[in-house]
Amino acid sequence: MNDFLTIDKIHKSFPARESYLKVLDGITLRQGEGEVVAIVGASGSGKTTLLRIVAGLEQPDTGAVALRGKPVTGPGPERAMVFQQFGLLPWLNVLDNILFGLRPAGLTKDEAEERTHDAIARVGLTGFEKFMPKELSGGMQQRVGIARALAVRPALMLCDEPFASVDTLTRQTMQTDLQKVVRETATSVLLVTHDIEEAIFLGDRVIVFSSRPGRVMEEIPITLPKTRDHSVRTLSEFQELREHIWQRLQSKN
Amino acid sequence: MAASAVQELGGDQPPTPRKPLIQPGVISFLILVVILGGWELAGRFDLINPFFFSWPSAIAKAAWVMLMNGQLFVDLWFTGYAYLIGVIAACIFGSALGLAMGWWKTFGQIVDPYVVFFSAMPRIALYPVLLMLFGLGDMSRIMIVFIGVLFPVLFNAYVGAKQTPRLLIDVARVFGYSNNKLFLSIVLPSSLPYLMAGFRTGITLGMVLIVVAEFFGGSSGLGREIAITATMYKTPEMYAWLIYTSLAALIIVRATDYLERRALAWT
Ligand SMILES: Nc1ncnc2c1ncn2[C@@H]1O[C@H](COP(=O)(O)OP(=O)(O)O)[C@@H](O)[C@H]1O
Ligand SMILES: [Mg+2]
Repeated sequence: MNDFLTIDKIHKSFPARESYLKVLDGITLRQGEGEVVAIVGASGSGKTTLLRIVAGLEQPDTGAVALRGKPVTGPGPERAMVFQQFGLLPWLNVLDNILFGLRPAGLTKDEAEERTHDAIARVGLTGFEKFMPKELSGGMQQRVGIARALAVRPALMLCDEPFASVDTLTRQTMQTDLQKVVRETATSVLLVTHDIEEAIFLGDRVIVFSSRPGRVMEEIPITLPKTRDHSVRTLSEFQELREHIWQRLQSKN
Repeated sequence: MAASAVQELGGDQPPTPRKPLIQPGVISFLILVVILGGWELAGRFDLINPFFFSWPSAIAKAAWVMLMNGQLFVDLWFTGYAYLIGVIAACIFGSALGLAMGWWKTFGQIVDPYVVFFSAMPRIALYPVLLMLFGLGDMSRIMIVFIGVLFPVLFNAYVGAKQTPRLLIDVARVFGYSNNKLFLSIVLPSSLPYLMAGFRTGITLGMVLIVVAEFFGGSSGLGREIAITATMYKTPEMYAWLIYTSLAALIIVRATDYLERRALAWT
């Protein structure tokens, strides 16, 4: 079960001022099929960089990523991504933005439209198909971003701080909604966030990252029920986890 | 997930804003009437030299004659089609070249010095060269418009392609778009506001160039008519041609505005 996604000893540095900035320091991770893994870490700890490597947008200096045993060398249709800044194409309406993600897959028109409408319904965007991105609130825009990722029916969905650009009032609703569609579609999710509660609420397992360079400090299995609603936030188990992770993020190693 | 969508469809019609007592357009028109009336009187009572200034009714009569005998359309067509061929060719070629330079970096670096050199050349100074090469036929005028319009379009396209948001490029790549597919589906549309700005500059510059080019000679054309009537002191006709030229320019600029609004409604 635990060899769905394998991330092995990833190191990554970026050139910075005649020197190098070490961003990822030997990341090793295993993710099972259908699992939601949430990485929590401070800003600058290399979370986005790790996701970009898994997405195939970036190459690691050393180390390897494989999905179902197949090495990741570039982007592929079995992985989709949800971006922190949504990444909608402003000149396309909601429907066309979602179809955009499906175009390289070479589906028939009917098939593509069926998948698009299914994804739109799942994220609660029915009736908004013809809206342009600028006409939607941030939360609604990210629903489009999630629908676009869902529509390709990826084996693994990568989420980069999906709700960090959404206002706080909307955020918790969106977290509940995301976890519902993820369970309904049995999608495996690798999510990164700096929001501790978000990581606990959404994750089957939480990985705590050290601050830069990013290293795995701790892996915490979350034993809360698999389908969660808002009320789990008030459980003492939830509170204790939050306190514990907060402490770990304060410590240096 | 559907139940929790935050934004709801439907709603009340917003109240229509109150209209001002007198429309600004009405005031503009009244001012025009006063100016034309004053000019007419000044002309009739010899307060200005009719040789240089003429007056509105004389100009209107000249304008009416050229409209009725069809001379206006002959010249409009003569100038217009050379202008349109030059502008459209320059917009297409300049956009393609500029976007390609901005997107395929190495290509851009190779072509860049040539673009800088040719763009530094004063455009109208090339006209005698073009006349030497192509003679007084249409080709010289088409080429001067083409060369003039090419560079503003090209530069804007170049900048537009270079500013393509990294995020959107990443989005397309994640969803499996190749570098070449990305050019058409991301670089081109995201550069559209820049392309439009380039077209707008080019369209007005092209009008100046073709009118000035026609001053140099040729069989007809709006610029030709202005030059001839001026040298022959046919003052009312000269103003009539000037007004028709301005109106044609205004229509083209307005049409561009309209197209731009349609094309950039998403911004
Ligand atoms: N392409 C890049 N070139 C240079 N530095 C980069 C690049 N991408 C990220 N970085 C740097 O790497 C560090 C980690 O970035 P990132 O992965 O975005 O962290 P996080 O997502 O956890 O906030 C940051 O200091 C950032 O400035
Ligand atoms: Mg980040």
